[in-house]
Amino acid sequence: MLEITNLHVRLADGGDGREILKGIDLRVAAGEVHAIMGPNGSGKSTLAAVLAGRDGYEVIEGSVRYQGRDLLQMPADERAREGLFLAFQYPVEIPGVNNTYFLRAAVNAGRRHRGEPELDAGQFLRLVRAKLKLLDIGEDLLQRPVNVGFSGGEKKRNEIFQMAMLEPKLAILDETDSGLDIDALRIVAKGVNELRSPDRAIVLITHYQRLLQYVEPDHVHVLQDGRIVQSGDKALAAELERRGYGAFEEAAGSAA
Amino acid sequence: MSAVLEFPVKPEARPYLDAFAENAGEPQWLRDLRRRSLNRFAEAGFPSRKSENWRYFDLQPLAREPLPPGRRAIFSAGVLAGVLLGGPTHRLVLADACFSPELSAEAGRDVPGGARFGSLGAALVDQRETVRAAIADTALAGPLAELDAAFFSDGFVLDAAPGIEIGQPIEIVHVASGAPASLHTRSLINLGEGSRATIVEICAGEGRYWRNDVVIARLAPGAHLTRIVVVEEGAAAVHTALFDATLGKGARLDGFCCLLGGSRARQEWNVRLAGEGATCRLDGAFLVSGDDEANIVTAIDHAAPGGQTRELIKGVAAGRGHGAFQGRIAVREHAQKSDAQQTSRNLILGRRAVIDTKPELEILADDVKCSHGASVGDLDAAALFYLRSRGIPAQAARRMLIEGFLREAADGIADAALRDYLLRRLALRLGRLEE
Ligand SMILES: Nc1ncnc2c1ncn2[C@@H]1O[C@H](COP(=O)(O)OP(=O)(O)O)[C@@H](O)[C@H]1O
Repeated sequence: MLEITNLHVRLADGGDGREILKGIDLRVAAGEVHAIMGPNGSGKSTLAAVLAGRDGYEVIEGSVRYQGRDLLQMPADERAREGLFLAFQYPVEIPGVNNTYFLRAAVNAGRRHRGEPELDAGQFLRLVRAKLKLLDIGEDLLQRPVNVGFSGGEKKRNEIFQMAMLEPKLAILDETDSGLDIDALRIVAKGVNELRSPDRAIVLITHYQRLLQYVEPDHVHVLQDGRIVQSGDKALAAELERRGYGAFEEAAGSAA
Repeated sequence: MSAVLEFPVKPEARPYLDAFAENAGEPQWLRDLRRRSLNRFAEAGFPSRKSENWRYFDLQPLAREPLPPGRRAIFSAGVLAGVLLGGPTHRLVLADACFSPELSAEAGRDVPGGARFGSLGAALVDQRETVRAAIADTALAGPLAELDAAFFSDGFVLDAAPGIEIGQPIEIVHVASGAPASLHTRSLINLGEGSRATIVEICAGEGRYWRNDVVIARLAPGAHLTRIVVVEEGAAAVHTALFDATLGKGARLDGFCCLLGGSRARQEWNVRLAGEGATCRLDGAFLVSGDDEANIVTAIDHAAPGGQTRELIKGVAAGRGHGAFQGRIAVREHAQKSDAQQTSRNLILGRRAVIDTKPELEILADDVKCSHGASVGDLDAAALFYLRSRGIPAQAARRMLIEGFLREAADGIADAALRDYLLRRLALRLGRLEE
């Protein structure tokens, strides 16, 4: 599904030319859930942004293949239509654009891309209702402008709702769990677990181990200063929780 | 014209002078008015860009290739396809600046008793005093208003007695045949005490023509006028229009002005809050692309205490388009407790597009709340990425953001059907936007 090889990234302009990602290697196969954990500033969001195709980063070395294609050559919107989804750490407020209108455009863009007929307003609404019910989310967010005036929790719920609607092949969640109360966290977990299937993959980027109590990952990676310093199974997450990131910093230091 | 003029005539005015012919069928006061106005126009010529009010609008193309008034063309009902409001309205069609009974169908027949709605021509034949007074006694500044007085061939008149509520919108459709000529109309809106009406004016056409329009509105105390103007002139057309409104005590104007088409389009709104506690909400939007120019010029005069103004103008310029908003708000010395807010928000798409925005507050009273804000910017890159990250192609994402940006200007329109109509017009125009 996703193959990241020796990925080096720095900011495209300005900055000090310093590398943020310093050689990431990661393989994610269909059916797997990976958790990438790491302290603030380790490069987690940068990795998510580069995968989703945000401007402002320069790949100086390495490659990323997605479903056998060179991901880095694809425009951001094409990546999404090809089934890649990023749940934003900070979802963007878009005044004047109605949430439902936006989402229908997004769903239909994907359907056109796959050669499927577009959904009309009625069919779309039925799909919306079904997904809301599945996730136990209310309809209150639908008629508002995208994310405008949403609380932090509402924004994250909206991300998960979009994910459920778009049914991605590869979902990357960038700290979707941080700052959430327990109910919102459950919705996030539910969204991820509902998506889980043999032909999809999920990458959870997180600072805390909390979400992993609800979503059991197949693999856990520790990202430190732009490198993956350790990989393991879910026991690694528990160990991190116990010992903190400091222990791995030392490990990384002595390995270098 | 045979008379020898005792003043120098501006060269650009000459073709208009030559085209003038007196109409012996018109009342003497009107013939006098036309002659006086023509002379003043001949002396002044076109407004110069040196005058502050015309700084951002270029009339040179009209000076180079004059468009004097011409003959009326014959219209088929097809011209209205795609421009109408839809739904039940009181419709009046001005085809090449003249009332067209065939296209207007029911105009004036079904308005509530106590209100009169019809063409200016008919009102002049009836010799209605209110009409004479409004036309003869309203002092309108500016050479194009003079030119309009000399040449207006028709217009609409809405005259409502006190306490009349006109439920259905009044729909005025200006269509142009595209014959190379100038089209001059003059219209009157007279709302008696506590009366209410909604007027939607739509301007459309094809070809190279110049529409020059004047609308005069008088709102008696407590009257409420909603006036929506949608300018969708042909790609080679010039549009200049002046709206002059006077509001009595507690009267309310909800205005919306939307410039979507025409090579050069200019709407000037002068609103005088003459009575205590009058309210003006004036929103608008313009969208230019190609080489187009659009201009919204407003002057709101707080001439009595307790007046309120809310103004929001949104502009978008793409290509080599040039848009401008000039908004003046004056608060007179005795107009205490005035409350005015003006906002101008603009989007520039591409390096060659230009938008000028010029707010101007002139406040002579001390106990007032007045504010203005203006911004000019690019599309929000983060928002664009967000939409694209959901699979929406870049161009569709840009349009979605532009539409979202402009939509806010229509938020003030209370009637959902009218708001939807406007949003549809905006969306249609955006569909054709060349960036
Ligand atoms: N746009 C940017 N401008 C300046 N510095 C940045 C930018 N993006 C990332 N960085 C820097 O790169 C490093 C990694 O950031 P980030 O990917 O956000 O880490 P994380 O998500 O793990 O907290 C940090 O030192 C951060 O300051």
